[in-house]
Amino acid sequence: MAKIVDSSHSMDKSITLPPDEIFRNLENAKRFAIDIGGSLTKLAYYSTVQHKVAKVRSFDHTAKETEGDPLYEISMQEEVSARLHFIKFENAYIETCLDFIKDHLVNTDTKVIKATGGGAHKFKDLIEKKLKLRVDKEDEMTCLIKGCNFVLRNITHEAFVYAKHADSEFRFQNTHPDIFPYLLINIGSGVSIFKVESEDTFERVGGSSIGGGTFWGLGALLTKTKKFDELLQLASKGQHTNVDMLVKDIYGGSYGSLGLTGDLIASSFGKSATPDKEFSKEDMAKSLLHMISNDIGQLACLYARLHNLTRVYFGGFFIRGHPVTMHTITYSINFFTKGEVQALFLRHEGYLGTIGAFLKGAEEDNPNQYSWGENYAGSSGLMSTSPDLNPMQRARSGTFDMLEMDRLERQLVNLPLLQDPSSYIPDTVDLSEDALAREYWLYCFEEALDGVVKRAVASQPDLPEAAERAEKFRHKYQHKLQTLRHQPL
Amino acid sequence: MSTSKMAAGCERVDSSHSMDKSITLPPDEIFRNLENAKRFAIDIGGSLTKLAYYSTVQHKVAKVRSFDHTAKETEGDPLYEISMQEEVSARLHFIKFENAYIETCLDFIKDHLVNTDTKVIKATGGGAHKFKDLIEKKLKLRVDKEDEMTCLIKGCNFVLRNITHEAFVYAKHADSEFRFQNTHPDIFPYLLINIGSGVSIFKVESEDTFERVGGSSIGGGTFWGLGALLTKTKKFDELLQLASKGQHTNVDMLVKDIYGGSYGSLGLTGDLIASSFGKSATPDKEFSKEDMAKSLLHMISNDIGQLACLYARLHNLTRVYFGGFFIRGHPVTMHTITYSINFFTKGEVQALFLRHEGYLGTIGAFLKGAEEDNPNQYSWGENYAGSSGLMSTSPDLNPMQRARSGTFDMLEMDRLERQLVNLPLLQDPSSYIPDTVDLSEDALAREYWLYCFEEALDGVVKRAVASQPDLPEAAERAEKFRHKYQHKLQTLRHQPFAYGSLTVRSLLDTREHCLNEFNFPDPYSKIKQGENDMALKYFQKAVKSLGELSWEQRQFALVRGLLAGNVFDWGAKAVSDVLESDPEFGFEHAKLQLEERPWLVDAYDQWLERLKGPPHKCALFFVDNSGIDIILGVFPFVRELLCRGTEVVLASNSSPALNDVTNSELQILTERIAAMDLVIQSAVKEDRLTLVQSGSSSPCLDLSRLDKVLAGVVRERHVDLVIIEGMGRAIHTNYYAILSCESLKMAVIKNSWLADRLGGKLFSVVFKYEVPPGHKTTTLDHVPVTPS
Repeated sequence: MAKIVDSSHSMDKSITLPPDEIFRNLENAKRFAIDIGGSLTKLAYYSTVQHKVAKVRSFDHTAKETEGDPLYEISMQEEVSARLHFIKFENAYIETCLDFIKDHLVNTDTKVIKATGGGAHKFKDLIEKKLKLRVDKEDEMTCLIKGCNFVLRNITHEAFVYAKHADSEFRFQNTHPDIFPYLLINIGSGVSIFKVESEDTFERVGGSSIGGGTFWGLGALLTKTKKFDELLQLASKGQHTNVDMLVKDIYGGSYGSLGLTGDLIASSFGKSATPDKEFSKEDMAKSLLHMISNDIGQLACLYARLHNLTRVYFGGFFIRGHPVTMHTITYSINFFTKGEVQALFLRHEGYLGTIGAFLKGAEEDNPNQYSWGENYAGSSGLMSTSPDLNPMQRARSGTFDMLEMDRLERQLVNLPLLQDPSSYIPDTVDLSEDALAREYWLYCFEEALDGVVKRAVASQPDLPEAAERAEKFRHKYQHKLQTLRHQPL
Repeated sequence: MSTSKMAAGCERVDSSHSMDKSITLPPDEIFRNLENAKRFAIDIGGSLTKLAYYSTVQHKVAKVRSFDHTAKETEGDPLYEISMQEEVSARLHFIKFENAYIETCLDFIKDHLVNTDTKVIKATGGGAHKFKDLIEKKLKLRVDKEDEMTCLIKGCNFVLRNITHEAFVYAKHADSEFRFQNTHPDIFPYLLINIGSGVSIFKVESEDTFERVGGSSIGGGTFWGLGALLTKTKKFDELLQLASKGQHTNVDMLVKDIYGGSYGSLGLTGDLIASSFGKSATPDKEFSKEDMAKSLLHMISNDIGQLACLYARLHNLTRVYFGGFFIRGHPVTMHTITYSINFFTKGEVQALFLRHEGYLGTIGAFLKGAEEDNPNQYSWGENYAGSSGLMSTSPDLNPMQRARSGTFDMLEMDRLERQLVNLPLLQDPSSYIPDTVDLSEDALAREYWLYCFEEALDGVVKRAVASQPDLPEAAERAEKFRHKYQHKLQTLRHQPFAYGSLTVRSLLDTREHCLNEFNFPDPYSKIKQGENDMALKYFQKAVKSLGELSWEQRQFALVRGLLAGNVFDWGAKAVSDVLESDPEFGFEHAKLQLEERPWLVDAYDQWLERLKGPPHKCALFFVDNSGIDIILGVFPFVRELLCRGTEVVLASNSSPALNDVTNSELQILTERIAAMDLVIQSAVKEDRLTLVQSGSSSPCLDLSRLDKVLAGVVRERHVDLVIIEGMGRAIHTNYYAILSCESLKMAVIKNSWLADRLGGKLFSVVFKYEVPPGHKTTTLDHVPVTPS
């Protein structure tokens, strides 16, 4: 492992990077793209991967077949395939990462790095100095939408519905053959609402200044807690009814003739003007979260109705991996649309900008003409960096989250004979919804692992390091199984 | 002067009572006409109580009655008898005061209630249940709760229908902060956004069809609550004051803070707020109370504006009214809401506010209780004398008035005897604006006219006293009138928007309301009587000399006579000066004063051409002054029209205003002229000459509020010519009115300032003859030809 500990460098350069895991295949990397947000940097590159493939070849048929001769010949060949790498890390690591990339970049015909995100201009000079690449800025919103289209099209179970109290928190949506039209609500500091009608037709139909920055800013003023994640933690412990004025606080119960239930919030913070009363940080944070989520949900619903859209995706740092915000947004959307519109979230929402920027730079390679598949081995999975969940994985890779996608050799489409492609679900049992079945099958696969390792080694009798590689495989798969046990998603 | 009067009022300082009972009420001003009050309604909000009651008011009216014609007339006998009679009319009283005063007010009401057949008080508002027991105990009335939202909407419909210039657009940086909207004949459909603690959004489609289409928890309570947490300032008004001094850009993250400038491809300007409070998560930075309050205000106002705009678009509505305590009288919230609506709708939707927004709930509750009296079948009019006007209690504005009446705000509405509707001949009723100059937008003109009315006040007081020589307390009442009107003028100087757009008409009307308030229903009655008497003596001679002229000479003489008659106008200062100093000033003299042709506005040639064509089917004539004007100017002109075969409808005021001839006076005059003149006689007999009331008691004319009977006559008779005479009706108002038939607007400018403004001089003549575009006048077919 290349430890980059250099005392002459600034503090954040002393961070240890696990390079074999987070910047894989850098040697052949080209087409870099970077999306620098308020706190997180997302890097993308295209690389080629050399790997072994098993080939079978028929023996010469003209030769006479001998009894006992195998039917066909098996050989191992080296093949080069295309892979997209996406890495997400905190802005604090940016200099270390750039240095690391520079040291490991072999391929030099890359001249440009596509950049997007609000932080792109702030780090422009640093990037140009370190990587000796010209920073080429791409429009943030265009990147966002390009990225969104890409993941919706290429990643199975990209979108999901969040339901806090259901058997399964995450209900993944089938990849819809036709992804358009949809509404994309990006909740960053503020809110932007896009109507996306095709790959190239999209419009910012609205927005709001009440967004993640408002939660953060007002939350900081109210609670003296300056960290976004900590504010969310406070909120998840609070009781909004101590601060909000409910319908029943005004009318003693529901306001039946207007169809307003007693528990409905009549006025956010409506109780907090009461003289000489103290309010807890948790309660204020919760009330604030409700206020903002409800407002965004209502706006989303109104724009969806105005534009006749039923698919509404939410993204941005306010949402990103935070169950508490997904929950309140979902609740709000359900309330305002009476279930007609579902709030959809994206597994790789944080990568949309960098994917889009990458695609802009890679247009000559025409990545959209291929099908791509998520590589489960190289991808971290949903919420790998969430502080609440999965402490094991977090400890392991720090705050680095990865997505790798393989270019598939053939473009994949629906079987034209499917009765209803949009409702087709290939799998018979969804293990994430069935805890008993999940337990059984995870156990099953773990039990089978020894056998699989044995068989893998046996398949390459002439390669002496096969045993070592097989152990690495065992380790990786075992780890994935453990991850799935904690996060069945 | 006013404070001492207050103290002279019923002082109820009783040490055994609680603190708030020591507040002195100025009862002669705030709970008027309680003796006959019935049908109480109360709307108790979070901080303000609004009380409504119906009462009858006894006041003097001037009546004229013809003397018995069978008796032989003696030279020198007056033409008709003038008497003062007591009349009872209905009035609605609405009073708004702080909840702190509620007990004092209830006690006061109880002590002054004479009429006891009232058993119930309608109540609405969030505080209604809190004060229920107190009200029942104090007033011995059963509290009957009404649905808050229903009351709100009923009240809104009522004010939109009955109060001129109820709705306004607010523009902070415009010449005039308040742009009042014309009363729209059809008030539905509209969106009503009530911003109380939270926000409720109603779609109102008819009197009984309305629906809460949406709402939001981010409302006034959020501003108050969050504001209190952020600034430690617990008072709503103080928070608003903080906000008005703050800089939101210190707290909000703007588009340019993120992108260094605008985000052109998305159409976002650099100054747009990208994230409310987006800068306030910055570690170790302090933010000022003012800046945080301002940012909060923007956040909430923008959000409400955006929701309003989205609901308006979803429901295809363009009229959006805002109300609730967040808005009520607060320029800073009206400004931010307006800004937000303009931003989100790109000007397609206007944010409309209501002058009497705070009263909607209590008006609605009152109407629910008064349904058997059917108040909606009548027309009602705001009484300027008894109403406080917009923002009377705003702390920023008008310290004088605030000091005077404390925090009591009043609205009084008179039931009008007649239902008022549009003149059916208005080209576009929804865009018709009666007034020619909006004084609230024209500071110079405002200054001049306020000065003018102040200068004239002495004369008006003198004349009022003189009109009641046999009533010894008249002088005292006249002083009260002077005081009240002077105060109104001062209020209007500070708040030109108090009663809607300030216009010459509203100044005149306010004076009439104040005169009536102090029982001077017709200060000019005797003067009018004398003038009428004198002019009648010349009628036959005038008609005879006109008959000797050639047709063409006669047409001109008739117009000149009409204009010369119009010089006699006690309402105009220049003329009243001349008349008072030189009673011999006669008709012929007036003709000499007239400007020679070409007149300032001169369409006489076109009019003459028109007269050579076929006669009009029917002319509607809005007449002006009594005396020489009506008798020697108007009647000969009308006589000529009748001779041409044109029917004539004479529209005159229902009640007195200055020296304008009233309908009852005109009836007597017409009888007398008919007795002398066969043309008039047969026209009256054959119903070719008809007298109608205008429904007005103003020296000006609002063609959108006319007696329903008049509108009916206009339709039946197929009126194809409207004649409007006099400065008040044809210049101060209706100068730019567009009618769907031919019209004549005639006046002599008897005010040098106005003459100056119009580019003329004193006694310049305006003779406007207008034909609607595409209108054929030479055809014998009287059906109006509309442009294709």
